[in-house]
Amino acid sequence: MSSSENIQTCIQREIAELTESISGMMSSFRKLQRPLAESREKVPQATTQLDKISQQTEAVTTRMLDVVEQMTQREEEVIRGIEQIRTTAGDGSTEEIEHLAQGLIVKATDNLNAAYQIMESLQFQDITAQQMDHAASLLEEVEIKLHGILTTLGSPEDPNARMVPQVPRKTRAYDPHADFVDRKTDQKDIDSIFAKKGH
Amino acid sequence: MAELKILAVDDSPTMRRIIINTLKRAGFNNVIEASDGKDALAKMKIERPNFVITDWNMPEMDGLTFITTIRAMEEYKQLPVLMVTTRSVQEDIVAAMKAGVNNYIVKPFTPDTLKAKIDQMVGK
Repeated sequence: MSSSENIQTCIQREIAELTESISGMMSSFRKLQRPLAESREKVPQATTQLDKISQQTEAVTTRMLDVVEQMTQREEEVIRGIEQIRTTAGDGSTEEIEHLAQGLIVKATDNLNAAYQIMESLQFQDITAQQMDHAASLLEEVEIKLHGILTTLGSPEDPNARMVPQVPRKTRAYDPHADFVDRKTDQKDIDSIFAKKGH
Repeated sequence: MAELKILAVDDSPTMRRIIINTLKRAGFNNVIEASDGKDALAKMKIERPNFVITDWNMPEMDGLTFITTIRAMEEYKQLPVLMVTTRSVQEDIVAAMKAGVNNYIVKPFTPDTLKAKIDQMVGK
C-alpha cells in the first residue's frame, strides 16, 4: 500500500470512529428526553398545587373575616347597650350597676381590639400568596427551559415519550421580596424619606 | 376638608376587606374598592374619590403605572395617594415617590399606622 493510500485509510477509519462516536452521543441525548419530559410534566402539577394553596388560604381567610366582622359588630352593639343601661339607670343608680357596666364595657372593648388584631394578622394571606406566585413563576421558567431542550432534541427515540403541550399560564403579579416578618426598609426609615421630600 | 371618599385598590380581596374594615374603625365610612389600576381608573370616573389607597403589584395595571397615569391628568394632580404594599426595597420607595405617591406603608400594617398616615395627609 502506498503512503497516500495509508493516509486515506487512516482518515477513513478516523471518520468512521468519529461518526460512531457522534451517533452514540445523539443516542444518549435522545435517552434524556423521557426523564426531561417527565420533569416538565411535573411542573404544571407543582404550580397547580401552589395555586391551590393560595386559593384555599384565601377561602379560609374569608371565612375568618366573616366571623371577625360579626364579632366586631356584636361587640359594638354590646358596648352601645351597656352605655344605654348606664344612662337609663339615671341618678341614684347604684354604684354596683355603674361598676358592672364599666367592667362589661372594658371586656367588650378588649374583645373588639382582639378581633381587630386577628384581622390585622390575616394580612399574612396576601403575603404568602405572593410568595407562592414567586415560587410558581420560578417553576414555570424551568418548564420553559425544559421545553426548549426537548424541542432541540427533536423526535424522541422512545415512542412512549410524549411532548406535553404548553398549558395556559396564570398572570402573576407579586413582590419577590414579600415577607411577613423581614422588611428591606423599616417603616420609620420610609417615613424619613418622605419627610425629607416634604410630604 | 370635605368628608373623605376613599378608593381602595388591591388585587387581593382579603386585603381590600381588611383595609375597608380598618378604615371604618378609624371613622372613614365612605370607601369604594377596585381590584387593579385599570379597574381603579374606571371607578374614578364614576365615583370621583378624593383620596386613594393603592397596592403596587397588581395584574392588568400595577400601582406605579396607575399613579403615573393619574398624575398625568390635570384633575388628579393634587389627589392624595397612599401606597400600601409589601415592597420595601429603598429603590422602590424612591420610585413610588417620584411617580407621585404622597405617602407609603409597608404591609403588614397596623390600624394606627394607616389612620396616622391618612390624618397626616389630610392635614389633621
